[in-house]
Amino acid sequence: MSENLSPTAERRAPRVVVIGLASCFGCQINITNIERHLMDVLGQIDLGYWQLTSSVPMPDEFDVAVIEGAVTTEEAAETVRRARERAGSVIAIGSCAVTGGIPGMASGDLAGHVEAVYGDAAPDACGDLLAPRPVSDVIDVDAEVRCCPIDPFEFVRVLDGVLYGSNRLPATSALCGECSRNEKGCFYKQGVMCLGLVTRAGCGAKCPALGRPCNGCAGLSPDSNVEAARYVVGKRGLEVARFNDALEMFNAVAINAAQGEE
Amino acid sequence: MAATEISVDHIARVEGHGDIRLVIEDGQVTTCEMAVVEPARLFESMVRGRSFEEVPYIASRVCGICSSSHVVTDLRAIEQVFGVEVTDRTEALRELLLYGSYLQNHGTHLFVFAAPDFLGHKSVFPLAEGNPELFERALGLKALGNELCTLVGGRSIHPITAVVGGFTHEISADEYLRLAEAMDATREFALASVDLFRDFDTVDVQTEGDLLAMVAPDAYPVCTSDTLRFVRAGYDFSAQDVEEEIEEYPVGHSAAFLARARRTGHPYMTAALARVNASWDALSKDARYAAAKAGLRPPEYNPFANNIAQAVELVDVLDRCAALCRRLAANEFEGGSEPVKFDVRAGRGVGFTEAPRGALFHILDIDEGGRVRRASIMTPTAQNIANLEADMRQLAEKMAAGGYDTDLITLEVEKLVRAYDPCLSCSVH
Repeated sequence: MSENLSPTAERRAPRVVVIGLASCFGCQINITNIERHLMDVLGQIDLGYWQLTSSVPMPDEFDVAVIEGAVTTEEAAETVRRARERAGSVIAIGSCAVTGGIPGMASGDLAGHVEAVYGDAAPDACGDLLAPRPVSDVIDVDAEVRCCPIDPFEFVRVLDGVLYGSNRLPATSALCGECSRNEKGCFYKQGVMCLGLVTRAGCGAKCPALGRPCNGCAGLSPDSNVEAARYVVGKRGLEVARFNDALEMFNAVAINAAQGEE
Repeated sequence: MAATEISVDHIARVEGHGDIRLVIEDGQVTTCEMAVVEPARLFESMVRGRSFEEVPYIASRVCGICSSSHVVTDLRAIEQVFGVEVTDRTEALRELLLYGSYLQNHGTHLFVFAAPDFLGHKSVFPLAEGNPELFERALGLKALGNELCTLVGGRSIHPITAVVGGFTHEISADEYLRLAEAMDATREFALASVDLFRDFDTVDVQTEGDLLAMVAPDAYPVCTSDTLRFVRAGYDFSAQDVEEEIEEYPVGHSAAFLARARRTGHPYMTAALARVNASWDALSKDARYAAAKAGLRPPEYNPFANNIAQAVELVDVLDRCAALCRRLAANEFEGGSEPVKFDVRAGRGVGFTEAPRGALFHILDIDEGGRVRRASIMTPTAQNIANLEADMRQLAEKMAAGGYDTDLITLEVEKLVRAYDPCLSCSVH
């Protein structure tokens, strides 16, 4: 990077690749959904590879790898390891890549889930299946864009930070503080369960603001106390088992890991 | 004569991961495979045991482009089990949400995925430099789809507000009127899109399979009918019988199940082209005229015409959305949109909608506690793959007989795959 600081050095646009693993492709689609700003962003980078939008093959060298999706096969694990070797920085985008997301729901009993859909064995075209896991379980990740789907402007902010540096730290607190600033009231006062108690802030609490409880897609807040949250749920007369079920939607990998440690 | 092998790993500009394997020996195609190489995604198993409230949230994640369709289809299945009657206003909002995904899907497919082929580019980005006006307007169309989904569903994909019985949030009358004006302002570009795709040269392939679409008397339905038609075989059936009428079967080279009609044993295409064939008379006047001018009239069996059919649907959808928004603003629909009360009960429900890419089914078996006992999802792409392989075979044989070289055959085969607008990640669910 240091040569780039010299005003006389010729600047080379950073080369960025976008890699899609097991996912709905929605986070990649959402990047294209910032239409008016897309060309401004693309004008500052050399988009080396993006299979969703271009038939140009993946280059051997690049500066930043953007990875969407969970790692669900040995082949995908190899892809991300290769990306880590070649890229200066790796950005994981979306719940699948960051927490294991919805694919992570199958991580507890992969064989059982495969049998339920395919019978004896999955077709060869499925690849060498692994229990679904976040990208950070396989390689070191430099930056994350959370939620399902990602907020594309958050993606631009994170990419910008990776390319040019940033002193902005990721939010760590639980969502309730951010949500209460929207002044829309609390679901628990209506006897409705909400995962904001334990979910990482940073999304602006969009779902509660539109009348829908938080589903935990940003992942568990490092400041949260899941056991205390279970107590609160029980105190409010709600089923703790339902709370545990709901947590599995986007946080099954973390919850399974925590149970393994107990 | 030597064998020609065509092999495309990881087809670009489609959603998901797929490979093409074609072998042509002495003018005959001996291998023709559209391999869907997605890892198992296991949705049908992951929703088992989950509460009905979580199921649309989970199923939405089958697909980032037609998430609205998966949500509305699930809601219809659940409401059928519980016997929930939603208001006319809720039905209208669901239609709007689906149409939003039509604008997003068709806009992305036509301009980002398909158009570069015909203009000799590898991606949409040269179009941005070479024809900035077209690029800007194409992005504008897609942005309008995003805005519609955001205002009705709460965000551009994976809607927040649509729940069993209604919606948790609605925008103001002024915002509906502003949307209606934006629809009107985009119509001219949609009409120009029909002309653009009409002018692109395509190979004359006539699909031998059938065409499947939702039908209703005097309507171009997308989520308000339970009846399907096989256009070629000429019979209708109820979505309730979909598992008896359509056979899903596994093949080794694909992680998706393929499909065929049980009565005829034929593969089929379900897509904009099938809808236009089935309900041509009910297209909006603008859309019908544009279709006629582009030479798209039923029966049209060339799968490449699916591109034109999508452009025609853009015109139709803009007309319908403008009308729906004005009626919502004027409070013309009976009832509100706040979720209606209902009781949880056990049963089987079949949700059926026309997703942007074709007929989508969610079959749910729910227990008395509101938890899913069994789920089956049939996506348009999974249903289309068998027919796509048959069309690929026909196209390759035709071009081999015409003496075209391997590169050109490869390009045309890829164009055919993209004309189907497959969502390979969706097809493995």
